Amino acid sequence: MDFGSVLSGFEVVFEPQNILYCLIGVTLGMLVGVLPGLGPAATIAILLPITYNIEPTPAVIMLAGIFYGAQYGGTITSVLLRLPGEASTVVTALDGHQMARQGKAGSALGIAAIGSFIGGTASIVLLTFIAPLVADAALEFGPAEYTVLALIGIFLVATLGNGALIKSVAAAGVGLLLATVGLDPLVGTPRFTFGSDQLADGIDFVIVAMGVFGVGEILYNLEHRLRPQPAVLSFGRAIPRRPEWLQSRMAILRGSIVGFVLGVLPGGGATMSSLVAYAVEKRSAKDPSRFGKGAIEGVAGPESANNAAATSSFIPLLTLGIPANATMAVLFGALLLQGIPPGPQLIVDHPDVFWGVVNSMYLGNIILLLLSIPLIGVFVRLLKVRAGILAPLTVLVTMIGVYSIRNNAFDMFLVVGLGILGYGMKKLGFEPGPFVLAFVLGKLLEASFRRSMRLFDGDVLGFFQRPVSAVLVAVLVLTIVVIPVLRMVRNRQASLTPAERKS
Amino acid sequence: MSESYTRRRVLAALAAVSVLPVAACGGVKGGSDDAGSDYPTRAVNFTVPFAAGGSGDLISRAVAKAAEKPLGQSIVIANKPGANGAVGGKEVLASSPDGYNIALAVKSLFAITPLVVEDPTAIQPDKMEIVTTLVQEDYVLVVNAQSPYQTVEDLVKAPSVKYATAGVGTGGQLSQALLFKGAGTKATDVPFDGGAPAVTALLGKQVDALSGSLAETMEHIKAGKLRPLAIFSTERSEFLPEVPTAKEKGYDVVVDQRRFIIAPVGLPEAVSTKLEQAFAEARKDSAYETFLKDNYMERWEVSDEEARQHLKDSAAQFESLAQKFGLTFKS
Amino acid sequence: MTVDQSTPTEASDEPRDEDGPPTGGPALSAIAGAIPVALGLATLWYARGLGFGALADPGPGLWPSIVAVLLIATGAGIAVRARTARDTEAFTRGTTAVVIGAASLAIYAYLFELIGFEIPTLLLLALWLRFLGGESWRITAVVSVLATVAAYLLFITGLGVPLPHLIGS
Repeated sequence: MDFGSVLSGFEVVFEPQNILYCLIGVTLGMLVGVLPGLGPAATIAILLPITYNIEPTPAVIMLAGIFYGAQYGGTITSVLLRLPGEASTVVTALDGHQMARQGKAGSALGIAAIGSFIGGTASIVLLTFIAPLVADAALEFGPAEYTVLALIGIFLVATLGNGALIKSVAAAGVGLLLATVGLDPLVGTPRFTFGSDQLADGIDFVIVAMGVFGVGEILYNLEHRLRPQPAVLSFGRAIPRRPEWLQSRMAILRGSIVGFVLGVLPGGGATMSSLVAYAVEKRSAKDPSRFGKGAIEGVAGPESANNAAATSSFIPLLTLGIPANATMAVLFGALLLQGIPPGPQLIVDHPDVFWGVVNSMYLGNIILLLLSIPLIGVFVRLLKVRAGILAPLTVLVTMIGVYSIRNNAFDMFLVVGLGILGYGMKKLGFEPGPFVLAFVLGKLLEASFRRSMRLFDGDVLGFFQRPVSAVLVAVLVLTIVVIPVLRMVRNRQASLTPAERKS
Repeated sequence: MSESYTRRRVLAALAAVSVLPVAACGGVKGGSDDAGSDYPTRAVNFTVPFAAGGSGDLISRAVAKAAEKPLGQSIVIANKPGANGAVGGKEVLASSPDGYNIALAVKSLFAITPLVVEDPTAIQPDKMEIVTTLVQEDYVLVVNAQSPYQTVEDLVKAPSVKYATAGVGTGGQLSQALLFKGAGTKATDVPFDGGAPAVTALLGKQVDALSGSLAETMEHIKAGKLRPLAIFSTERSEFLPEVPTAKEKGYDVVVDQRRFIIAPVGLPEAVSTKLEQAFAEARKDSAYETFLKDNYMERWEVSDEEARQHLKDSAAQFESLAQKFGLTFKS
Repeated sequence: MTVDQSTPTEASDEPRDEDGPPTGGPALSAIAGAIPVALGLATLWYARGLGFGALADPGPGLWPSIVAVLLIATGAGIAVRARTARDTEAFTRGTTAVVIGAASLAIYAYLFELIGFEIPTLLLLALWLRFLGGESWRITAVVSVLATVAAYLLFITGLGVPLPHLIGS
């Protein structure tokens, strides 16, 4: 480790123009994060031509800022409007929106911002010291490991809901089915595309999430438009009170670690991290039944995790030249346009860029925290806007956001269709959370499983013969057999002495 | 995009009402006669039918930037990905031929995609104008640097090979399938979801080999993580002069990717000339030159007739090869 | 996948809004079970033509079929407990508003690429504000015009999103 270049990275960061671009980046990121549908990938793509005229380091500092800034912003719509713009904020919507309905929107957003800050910052520290090490470990993850990981994720998803488990499983099943729309990933056979090449590449996750959560929720509310809206009298404080802090600090710590580790995995890492963080909190809570009804740990854990994951997803890009997600792919392109090929040589050939960008994230996270706390007070006032006015504006921004994903009006029809589905699910008592998350993991599971079988020549035992996948299989067995048995025992005890549950 | 569309509709409607009697005997051609003379009067929409950040997106942005000056108008890029470029391509070809709607297209859509997907509405090489040809990108066969295979011969003699590809219907898949089939190797193809995951799998030794574009692999070759064994082009690449072609090694497999710009048929003469000139000028731009070098792309600058013929020839050739070796991509 | 650990009583524990909509009857619960079953059967029928492949190379039809079986099993389970389940909501007269809302969004999507975003946006907002939201004409006019202008400035002028539009180039 060459500390000279780490420190000179800080010199790079504190050049006035770099501070300025960092500020522009994170502010813009937060803004597009708040606008549902308009994600960081699209924004960075739009800004690519502008970066031609900027030097590489400030350009990448700005674009990176958009990415992690959007993570802060995305939480706001998840919590206030139950409109998650990213796969990694879906679970935040579960308890976050409940908190908002109970008049604790400020607390939810405050703890999310602080969790994000801690998760993000912890992740940068780890990145600085062990990036190359972690990157090599990520390469150990092949199709077999992803298969087991996705399977664990899907089991966690099914237990996420609050209603009857069987309905959560059914909702997850529909999500898995929707994920198969498009050309088959291994042989190219069209599945459920009905001859349209609009569906050939499958359906974008953002469309699914905005359809069943956002549009579905708005349609649902239309049905009861004459009913007086439950007035939100208080918002809670953006700076958490002592008990709230005590309740969430361990969640933040656990979330940060989970996020850092899983975020390194290209493909599904960030989503898995928020999901696992939520499951960990729910499992380790004294009273898991609070979850889904506004448990603050259910916001703190996943939010710390997805920001830590966002930061650690830079590791494969910067050290191996592998983009871990769609946004990283655009950043990859941005670096190429600057004549700086991301790859194993980056840190050697362009240490100023590498350390400049990494260290700028400290600054960016501080700016975001300082920006978030006062802005929360502004944003929560959205809840005061009458539904009659807020709903049309939300729906408009959603439709435009959906269009901007592929610049395609077909996707607007899709989001309306999925909105109707979301409405129907809500009426019939199915929860959208398991549906949406199963959709994300379903693609990963099927493709990884089939790749594994080709690699193993059809030998299922292959999953047990690779060290990492064998460990994951053990975790899987633990999650689906051992823990439910323990929980059943605990539930039985709880039902014997109901008084204990309240303590 | 729709601005032209709308304006044209309004104009067409007005024309229909006011000059109907004239049109009946005078043969009005929808008002597009004079459209070419002062072209371009506003920004040109350049549809990139691929996701932002990929090779197709980057080359489009590079050439568009260089073409703005000779064209005298700005060129606005919109990414409209889907079905290897078919979604955005079809839409642009269905728009009005006024020179304000152009799109990037790739050879694989015409030469390889038909082997995989049955599409009765697929774009035909004869049903589009080729505004300009841009680049050619070669595929290189690589193995992990720690792999025991030093040459192509070593690899094809291996008892069994698992090879990664960037997905179904990509040049990387076709080139490896043809190579291993031709050599009689017991080989299994493992398609990944794009070039980056495929490279990752090879770096992690999850697979034995990969055929990928130079843009995807060169950095890893330079860093000594991947070893190039052969290149699937007719001649050696200027970027990897010491790597033999597959042909030299006795495997007659030539697969590459080529990129060009298309427009709907029926462009007025003046418009197509103007566009051609602007892009011809753009290809001489020094920043564009640097971009090509940085991204390991070779120039492919031929006439539209030659380009069209190349697309048809490659499609026919790949189809007969696939039949000869009994390759089935469709199921 | 196992579904045997379900605790059917959990659903009824959930607190409902006091002025919430009426709970759907057993018939609606039965429908909630019938839909996954129907979806599963349709998928099985569709997937049969896709090919199951072998263990060494699972085909495109295998995974959808597994999911279909899961859907049929869970759907049947939901239908069985339909008599006692209380986790659905009855459709009410307000459902009409939902249909109008969804239809207006579909029309919006249709007009969006055809004539640019300005006019459809104005009309959509007006419809939602006045007729679905029950706002006054004055608020409807002010909000819909301001929001359309703001959207134009934000997305087209500010962020440079290539939305189809009439005004400006």
